[in-house]
Amino acid sequence: MKFEVRNLSYSFGDKKVLRNISFEAADGEFLGLIGPNGSGKTTLLRCMTNYLETPEDRILINGKPLQSLMPMELARTFAVVPQSSSTDFVFSAYDIVMMGRIPHMASRIAGHRKSDVEIVRAAMEKTDTLRFASRPFFALSGGERQRVIIARAIAQQPQGLLLDEPTVYLDINGQFEIMDLIKKLNREEGISVVAVLHDVNMAARYCDRIALLSQGHLEAIGEPKEVLTPEIIRSVYGVDVVVRKDPFTNAIYVMPHSTVTVAHTHGTRVHLLCGGGTGGPVMKALLDEGFSVSSGVLNVLDSDYQNAEDLHIATVAEAPFAPIGDSAHTENLKLINSSSAVIISPFPVGPGNLKNLEAAKSAVKTGKKVFVLPPEAGKGIDFVGGKADATVKELIRSGAIQVDSIEDLLVRLSRGGGG
Amino acid sequence: MLRVGPLSASTTESMGTEYQRIVRRRILILSVLPIVLFVTVIVGTFIGTTGPIGPGIRTATGEIQRISFEDAVDAILHGHGNWPFDYHAIFWTQRIPRVLLAVLVGASLACAGTAMQAVFRNPMADPFIVGVSSGASVGAVAATLSGLAAFAVVGTFLTPLLAFCTALLTVFVVYRLGTVKGKVYVDTLLLSGVAMAAFLGAIVSSLIYFARQEFHRVIFWLLGSLSMQSWTADAILALTVGVGVLVIFLYSRDLNALLLGEETAHNLGTDPEALKTIMLIVAAVMTSAAVAFTGVIGFIGLIIPHMMRIVVGADHRVLVPASTLAGAIFLVWADAIARTVISPNTLPVGIVTAMCGGPFFLYLLRRSRVEGEK
Amino acid sequence: MGSKRTSSSVRRVWTVLGVVLTAIIAFSSGYLVASFTQNEAVGFSVVDDYGRTVTLDGIPDRIVSIAPTPTEILYSIGAGSLLVGVDNYSDFPEEARLLTKVGDAFELNTEMIIALKPDLVVCGDLVPRQLIQLGETQGIPYVILADRTVEAVFKTIRLAGIITGHVDEADQLAANLSERVNALTAKTLADGVSKPKVLVETWSWGTSISTFGPGSYGDDVIALAGGTNIAKYAASEYPMVESEFVIAQNPDVVVYTMSSTTKDAIIGRSGWENVTAVQQDHVYSIPDDLISRYGARLIDGLEQLAVTIHPELFP
Repeated sequence: MKFEVRNLSYSFGDKKVLRNISFEAADGEFLGLIGPNGSGKTTLLRCMTNYLETPEDRILINGKPLQSLMPMELARTFAVVPQSSSTDFVFSAYDIVMMGRIPHMASRIAGHRKSDVEIVRAAMEKTDTLRFASRPFFALSGGERQRVIIARAIAQQPQGLLLDEPTVYLDINGQFEIMDLIKKLNREEGISVVAVLHDVNMAARYCDRIALLSQGHLEAIGEPKEVLTPEIIRSVYGVDVVVRKDPFTNAIYVMPHSTVTVAHTHGTRVHLLCGGGTGGPVMKALLDEGFSVSSGVLNVLDSDYQNAEDLHIATVAEAPFAPIGDSAHTENLKLINSSSAVIISPFPVGPGNLKNLEAAKSAVKTGKKVFVLPPEAGKGIDFVGGKADATVKELIRSGAIQVDSIEDLLVRLSRGGGG
Repeated sequence: MLRVGPLSASTTESMGTEYQRIVRRRILILSVLPIVLFVTVIVGTFIGTTGPIGPGIRTATGEIQRISFEDAVDAILHGHGNWPFDYHAIFWTQRIPRVLLAVLVGASLACAGTAMQAVFRNPMADPFIVGVSSGASVGAVAATLSGLAAFAVVGTFLTPLLAFCTALLTVFVVYRLGTVKGKVYVDTLLLSGVAMAAFLGAIVSSLIYFARQEFHRVIFWLLGSLSMQSWTADAILALTVGVGVLVIFLYSRDLNALLLGEETAHNLGTDPEALKTIMLIVAAVMTSAAVAFTGVIGFIGLIIPHMMRIVVGADHRVLVPASTLAGAIFLVWADAIARTVISPNTLPVGIVTAMCGGPFFLYLLRRSRVEGEK
Repeated sequence: MGSKRTSSSVRRVWTVLGVVLTAIIAFSSGYLVASFTQNEAVGFSVVDDYGRTVTLDGIPDRIVSIAPTPTEILYSIGAGSLLVGVDNYSDFPEEARLLTKVGDAFELNTEMIIALKPDLVVCGDLVPRQLIQLGETQGIPYVILADRTVEAVFKTIRLAGIITGHVDEADQLAANLSERVNALTAKTLADGVSKPKVLVETWSWGTSISTFGPGSYGDDVIALAGGTNIAKYAASEYPMVESEFVIAQNPDVVVYTMSSTTKDAIIGRSGWENVTAVQQDHVYSIPDDLISRYGARLIDGLEQLAVTIHPELFP
């Protein structure tokens, strides 16, 4: 099933909901439609199902104008799965799925053939809904109902599926169940999918391509990594995110990092000695307070390096698997000298980054305010045979301030911790 | 636990025995109903003031006269016999056309009611919902109270004809009010129907008020009565009911889909707009034709579909024929009661349908609720 | 603590209700006592056709009639000049139409009645609540003139005479009418005279026919006219019966009120072809008023009916 949308606009009365949208959904593709509320995704889908009337030649299906096909033909070409379905009338799950055969019935009075029953049975088996086939539809749970609706869609034997936020009323395992099922149909049976999704990460995980709508415009269309960039997401959703890769699926996912609008930055810079992921929360807290932050030395494979990159924090980097070298160390000291305070997060210390603690020692010696954050209970930071612990103790003896927590740190900093 | 299922037994072997039980039940009901109707018609023909099933009449001498069963059969099958009065006329001009009228009117009201409940997706819908009863009342009351109906030839059919016309006119207006650019908005339609009913009801009330000393003339119409029976009426209604029921039955699958919502119905390949329009037209014509002769017989169009839905489920391929047959059966019995309960006096059948039907439906509802909760 | 408060406020409500209820009872019983004592007045009392004892201060000068038959009756005994107001349907005699209209038994114009300052209101079987209220609030008495038999017509006429002071005319009229009836029944109820089966139809709806049942004056009229009312054993005074019943009873004569239908319509009724009355062309009309008004004209109706049923007795 191939869709072509050309310069499609749609208004409800005076209200313009879709503005000049053009894109294609290729055969066999899994295309996601995402966008904030009110961006027009559902309206777009409804235009594509021909439920809303659009001018001819704006939407082509398999090369032909949408309006040129009879309703039954359309129903044989694609099946629609809405957000939710309910009915007060007493139909069994089987009855509901059997309605998917309507587009294939030979005539008004034709009964069900054995083939119809077999198709329904197979569809229900695929969706694991056979076991409540004779129960009334209204008595099923939300997830079960959605599965039945998908079974109905499958029973239509369509070339493609159009889904409108199919998982929005499902709990988390229900969501993945449904999406996995749809993906399977897409991959194994070549059923094209156009799905309006509310969850951006779900779209990134399952879709081949994503179309992003905003206020009726098509803002971007392409592979997830092309569309889901921090810049685009900020401009469309107004949220600051970092984009990461799911370590298990390699799909990208977006993670909002700052829900705080920083009132003002006050130009004070603090330097953060961190590593092993311990610096992330500290960086965020400091940025939210309006501080500017630098960090180092971080190995490029260290997750704190990624964090610093994401938060646009100046960092001194070191090559993968290499201990802190001289030039990096010097850079680090430079940054320390030009900062108002130094903060040490409870990073794991090994032979490779022991020099970070040395840098702290020199900071204390020059009278810089140094703050030490405590490690998590039970978590040791010393992987150099006691040297790290000893150094930390020495630092504190020499004037470094041991704080209780990040909140405590911020309090002390604001009390004029600069120097 | 409430179990429902599909229709045909032969195609459900792969679905398990629980289906087969439900399917067998539906087939049983659908095959029993026509038999019950047939028996009802026969029995209904035998019920009446003069018997054989009935109190008989008291003649001037005070003795009770009742037609015997043998004579009844004789009168029906043969023309003449040695009878104290015209037995043949009793059966062939009074009983049989009246029972047939009951069958046809009961069938059309129940069938139209089923269709309306699907179109409006509203269990409170009945065939009068789009203004048929209020519209027909205007015509009938005007024709009767004007005195024109008293004149022969013109008079006999003036009332039904005028009632039919005003009914359809009203439906047309309501339809136009509820339709914008070819799209039927059932909520608007419903409200328009209610508004028209209120407005036309006021007109009818005014007509009655200004001719209030003749009010008794229209009471049979307003309460619903089968007294306007004739073979001509039967012929006309046979046509409207035959076509109407057939059309509605042919759209059973579409109606099923419509129950899931208009968008879903559209996505399954049906045309909800065309469906709504066709159903409205067919139901309106069928109901208007029935109401033109009998006045507003309430209850059947609303409750019979519900009752049958409890018994056979919401699949219209079963529900439409079941409701149609049940409506016919019900009205024949109701009329039999109306004709004999205070014999020789006669009651308007609308009183009987309301009084008998309501409690029975409540009982059925309660039973299905209790069953459903188990 | 909350429940204490609730119970005390509940108690207060009951107390108030109790006081109000006592007041109502006291007032109304006092009122009833007063109204009873009030009835021990001067003037005279009559017992009307419903057995009510009505006390009048004297012969009324101004009478309002709210039904057509009482109007007719008053005129027939020469008391028409006492009428100051009539209902919308009082159309006989002609003079009655000129009187001030006070509505009708369904919808009384009580203001108009009060404005006319009547001493008495006369009515028929329909006694609207407004009339009762007028009696209580304005002290306007009402007398019900209604009868169920031809014999009772004489009684009603005499009653009308008493309350209007036209006793002599009333007695005269009653005597005349009685004479006519006797002359009639001498022929119609004589030994050996047949009693053909008669249907008197007042209106119809399809196959349902409205007629006179047992206890109605129509039933009495048919009997006196020498016929047998086929609806003699119906279940009420004014029954609707089915055509089936009529066919079964096979009347010899069918009489219908002029405004309700036509002869052709009756003859053409499906199933009535073999009814004796239809076969022998004994289908006749009667003016509505002669059978629906139970005043003096009822006797006219009775006579017309007798001629219809027994033409051989009245050549």
